[in-house]
Amino acid sequence: MKRTHFILFSLFVFILTGCSDDRFERIDPHQSFVASVNIIEPSITFFDQSANEIALWPLEKAYTGAILVGKDAILLYGHQLKDADLYELSTGKLLKEISTGLGVTNAYFDAQTEKIFITNSKTNELTSYTMKGELQHTVKLHNYPMSMLVSDGKLYVINYKDTILSVISTETMAILDEWVIPKSSHGLVIPTGRDELWVGGHGEGNSPNKTVDIYAQSTGEKIKEILMPLMPVGFSQRDDEIAVVSHGENILYVVNTDGIIEWQLEIGANPFAVAHFKDSLVVAGYDDHSIYFINNRRIQKKVHTEKGPFHLLVREG
Amino acid sequence: MKKLSSKIWLLIVLFLSATVVFMYIFTDFLYEHFYVEDTKIKMVEVGEKLQTMYKGGKVTDELIDAIDNYAAYSNIPIFAVRNPRELSACVPFDVDYDALIGPAERQQLIAGNAVIKIGFEKRFERQIISVILPFTDQNRLEGIIYLYYPLAKISELAKEEVVLLITGAVMFLLVATFFVYQGMRKILRPLANLQQAVNHMAQGEYATRVDVTSKDEIGTLSTAFNQMAQSIQREDEAQKSFLATVSHELRTPISYVKGYSEAIQNGYISDQKRDEAIGLIARESARMERLTNELMQLARKDEKIPLSETEPLVLAETIRDAVSLLQNQAIAKRIQIEQSLEEELIVMGDEEKIKQVFINVIENAVRYSQENAAILIHSKEIGSDAVITVTDSGIGIPAEDLPHITERFYRVNKARSRSDGGSGLGLSIVEQIVKQHHGKLKIESTLAKGTDVIITLPIMEES
Repeated sequence: MKRTHFILFSLFVFILTGCSDDRFERIDPHQSFVASVNIIEPSITFFDQSANEIALWPLEKAYTGAILVGKDAILLYGHQLKDADLYELSTGKLLKEISTGLGVTNAYFDAQTEKIFITNSKTNELTSYTMKGELQHTVKLHNYPMSMLVSDGKLYVINYKDTILSVISTETMAILDEWVIPKSSHGLVIPTGRDELWVGGHGEGNSPNKTVDIYAQSTGEKIKEILMPLMPVGFSQRDDEIAVVSHGENILYVVNTDGIIEWQLEIGANPFAVAHFKDSLVVAGYDDHSIYFINNRRIQKKVHTEKGPFHLLVREG
Repeated sequence: MKKLSSKIWLLIVLFLSATVVFMYIFTDFLYEHFYVEDTKIKMVEVGEKLQTMYKGGKVTDELIDAIDNYAAYSNIPIFAVRNPRELSACVPFDVDYDALIGPAERQQLIAGNAVIKIGFEKRFERQIISVILPFTDQNRLEGIIYLYYPLAKISELAKEEVVLLITGAVMFLLVATFFVYQGMRKILRPLANLQQAVNHMAQGEYATRVDVTSKDEIGTLSTAFNQMAQSIQREDEAQKSFLATVSHELRTPISYVKGYSEAIQNGYISDQKRDEAIGLIARESARMERLTNELMQLARKDEKIPLSETEPLVLAETIRDAVSLLQNQAIAKRIQIEQSLEEELIVMGDEEKIKQVFINVIENAVRYSQENAAILIHSKEIGSDAVITVTDSGIGIPAEDLPHITERFYRVNKARSRSDGGSGLGLSIVEQIVKQHHGKLKIESTLAKGTDVIITLPIMEES
């Protein structure tokens, strides 16, 4: 082999290996973070509890959501993508490509059973995987399954374009129950120690939703509703405090488990997500591309993210 | 489609139709450009004024009512919206709802910019111009002002009149088509007449003429045709006349020669009369020879008379040579030939041909002069030319014949009599030779008073 050929060949190999390296910036396994999943130009921004940016993962695929899987993995999915990708946080490496098919609406990780649940709007199915991404079960649900929450071995799934909430066994994937709820419901929370399931939502057609509806967890009967205009869709619970974000009015409500609003704060521009992180409440403003850190009922910090923060992921060590 | 008139007619009709279509499109363009643009500007102005009513915070019911109140008196439909769904706030959720604005427009509005759209809007089920202005507060799109105006096409604007408009256009086209057809017929009729006349000419009807009714190109063409027809007719008549002359001229000497030779052969003529008869035969034979020579020239009528080599000629000498050759004829008629010649005039030419020119001209002068008359030959230098004038006081040439006198076989004396001895070729030959020597021939004549033949030849340049 001539010398020039060897150089060219080496360069070619170098470029190929360079291209195939889909590794992201490593995240220290002991680092606590809140990460915003930005979807207008897909990326993930990681912040520490002082609201400093730890890392930025620019994403090349049109991911629309992400969840943490255990302590050291993140699953990225997209409504228009055929695969969901499982990355290891400590190395930034791709662990597994899970073939989901088009139409993934949401993913949920249950730490107790170590299962990943994925809902699909094209097939209207719920599929379970191991935390390594191995396919386990598939069950047919109703129109557009999306919001999910696990409690006491039961997976609650809202069928977004339907009036049915499905209750599924996380072990057997059997459908245990189906409740009647309003159409376009979204967002779930179960207050600790109460036989309640709170359901938020957008509302249907021209009439936006103004309430969080409360159902008896054991029976599925509607018990009451709390007025939280407009469009309460994001929930986060810690101890006796439940944070609800109403994206229609840009308001963060903080209520106790009795459903009594303790305080409220106008925040962000078109926020969809709220999360508890350390001693802060974090709200993501979709339109203003900002993350707000709230302490003592006041905005302590506002930091900019990439465009369109839509989900918040929290890991606390 | 064989007729030119049909082609032109069709062309004009097509042109008219194209004009009607073009005017429609052009008007439509003007409408789009000015009317739509003007409406857009007005809408933005109104919207921006209303926008100032918003002072930040939530869009209140009072603000919505105030805008509704204004809209009740405005001719532009206006409304304010604060429903997040209408503002595409729920995107990225799949909300099953036709929002007034899309995600990209939402971003534009959040940035504080107006959105102006022209096109079909599903919500209003028609083409509209819409102007959307934001109510923003700290990056929050709290609401929008939505102004829209139906983008009616001209046809839609004049919905009732559109039938009238189309009917009018069609009627206009029909009437225009009819009048154009009639006009074309009138304009092109002389051309049709001309075509007919050409056909007649082709069949030998040389007397055919067309009426010249205009001074345009067709009129000029008709005039040219008439002139051409006249020339052809005259040429035809000249040929016929010449053939008649020739046959007449030949018949007489032939009958003389035939009669006398038979008489001599049969011994009907006495010896003392025989010489006289033989002389007569010889004279008539010479006449026949001359005639046949001229016939030869007739056969070569399109060819030029060949010139032998040119040389410097002393014009006075050449004229005198010609005069001396004709002296006998002049003496026979007791005609005095007076010469007033400049001796210094030298021209370049073929001596024989130049001499033939003067012989022909002087011979004509002698022939058509009365006995005891005088002929004056005068030459002088004018500019760079030698001008020779042969003046007689003979019978003259009628004015109507003068322009044709140099044409071949043209005879002033239409009686075809051989009494004057001419064959109609002499002056034609003279003109041709003079032209070959770059000269000019001019004939001036008054009937019964005499003729001036003026020959101009360029004087030889001294090198």
